[in-house]
Amino acid sequence: MRQSSILTRLLLLHNGRTRLWTALAILSVGTFLLLVSVLTWSDFDQLLSNEQSGGTESYVVIGKQIIERNMGGASANVFSASEIAEVRHAPQVLDAGEITPALFPVYAEVGGQLPLQTELPLASVPDRFLDAVPSDWNWQPGNPNLPVILAARFLDIYNYVFAPGQGLPQLSRGSVQAIGMRMKVGSGTNVQVFSAHISGFSDRVGSVLVPQSFITYGNSRFAASSGPARVMQLILRVADPSDPQFTIWLQQHGYTTEPQGLQWSRMRAIVQSVAAATGGLAALLLVAGALIFMLFIELSISRSRSSLVLLHQLGYSRRYLVSFMVRRFVPMVAGSLFLALAATVFVQVIVSARLAAAQLHLPSLPGVVVWAAFAIVSALILVVVYRAIVRSVTKVEVIVGL
Amino acid sequence: MQLSMRGLVPAHLVQQLAGRPSQVWNADVTLPSGACVFVQAPSGRGKTTLIHMLYGLRGGYSGTISFGDRNMEQLPDDQLSALRARQLSVIFQDMRLFPSLTAFENIEVKRALTNSVTTEEVLTWLAQLGIADKAYAQAATLSFGEQQRLAIIRALVQPFSWLLMDEPFSHLDIANRKLAIDLIKNVAHRHNAGIFLTDLDANDYFPYTHTFLM
Repeated sequence: MRQSSILTRLLLLHNGRTRLWTALAILSVGTFLLLVSVLTWSDFDQLLSNEQSGGTESYVVIGKQIIERNMGGASANVFSASEIAEVRHAPQVLDAGEITPALFPVYAEVGGQLPLQTELPLASVPDRFLDAVPSDWNWQPGNPNLPVILAARFLDIYNYVFAPGQGLPQLSRGSVQAIGMRMKVGSGTNVQVFSAHISGFSDRVGSVLVPQSFITYGNSRFAASSGPARVMQLILRVADPSDPQFTIWLQQHGYTTEPQGLQWSRMRAIVQSVAAATGGLAALLLVAGALIFMLFIELSISRSRSSLVLLHQLGYSRRYLVSFMVRRFVPMVAGSLFLALAATVFVQVIVSARLAAAQLHLPSLPGVVVWAAFAIVSALILVVVYRAIVRSVTKVEVIVGL
Repeated sequence: MQLSMRGLVPAHLVQQLAGRPSQVWNADVTLPSGACVFVQAPSGRGKTTLIHMLYGLRGGYSGTISFGDRNMEQLPDDQLSALRARQLSVIFQDMRLFPSLTAFENIEVKRALTNSVTTEEVLTWLAQLGIADKAYAQAATLSFGEQQRLAIIRALVQPFSWLLMDEPFSHLDIANRKLAIDLIKNVAHRHNAGIFLTDLDANDYFPYTHTFLM
């Protein structure tokens, strides 16, 4: 006991405690901010993955931006085969499907207690892009029954906007699927009537979908002009629509999509900027903290110079003195680093609990990225502190000329 | 452990020593293990320089100093420290105590390095040299005579093959000097250690086997 306490008095008690605590506090705050910026980035990444349906994948419908220059001729807004091929290789795009519009008029009537009559914008997409393929999703020429998938938002507009104003009943998805429709296709004398029913709903495509075989048949049988259907919209299966690369690619090609499809991208850009700014500030604080601590060590050792020299003369080796200093300083540094880690874990516990109330799920402990950042920062700072001690002790001996 | 000095000339004394005969400087001296050596010289002839060179505190000289087969100038730090902790002890002319520590703590710093002497023995030696009542007084408050006795005890609380002493009794009266000499003889005998003493005047403090004029 005595030796250690005597050495402590000789070597470490000349130093200002305020300076020591300030250096440790800056080191701790810097580490905390750095870990929090990594935590913010990693939490947002995780939240984003959870928010997108089916894990990280999402579906996005794109079209060409309609501006004054191209709004007259529809052909200018058509996707060519080469453009479609290019879309398939865009950043984050896993698959692309054509949304084929009906080139013929469609008029639907709902009978019974729901006297609705309306023109319908029919379209088709490849089955692999449907939210779920209904069991009766099949149509062959000659079949009078036609399955239809309705955009979910159409039902919302009916229930919350149209029905209350018209004194009509609000309808559940199940009840709508039980309603039959009379669908008149074509114009003039070239008309055919089908018995249609709604067999499903789609959150992905904002129109009325029918099987592709029906659109192919209708476009060849009832279209005013012949020729292949002009594709003006594509549906994309995207790995991560919040990736800024994907957003930039869309803008560069003049393609538009629904704004909510890209809201995460904007949020991610903002969060990344905030995290980067915090990280930059944290890195500066860390460097400042490490520098102050190094200066503190050098000052401490230089103030204890005469004791250090005499101890060395009495038989204490340089290695022993360095190891004594390391044993005194490293626990202080490690303590401040672990304090920062504990504060970061606490932040994650609080954030995950609060977000859980908003149905956003995060693990209650920081992810592996945060632990890795902590390990790297700790290793760097401990190496810097160790080198400062070795350099200072060696310098004292060099001055004395040993 | 044999001590040998070969052609030693400190750089800063080259001119001063030129043409002046010396049995130590620029001479070949071999001292066997356990020898009792006295080097006599008036002030300014380099007695302290020699002790510091032997203890490895200063370089800047031509020639070689060897303890056994170890050349002092070529010893790495770890080995030099081990030599000072276990083979080579010294009583500095200027004592070199830690002024802020107590007398006992000054000894403890050295004793704890090897733990070869018990604290009870230390207290006995303090009593033997008449400074037991100063054990817990700050070293800075002790008289020169007390500090010198403290420095002597500190040099004895480690194992050693050679005890280097630089005018070790300069502040002691005859009675205290005799007590110190008796203690040193006993401890050196216990370790079968050699004694290497420098002083101004001829003396019979120890039964010298080798005497040199510097």
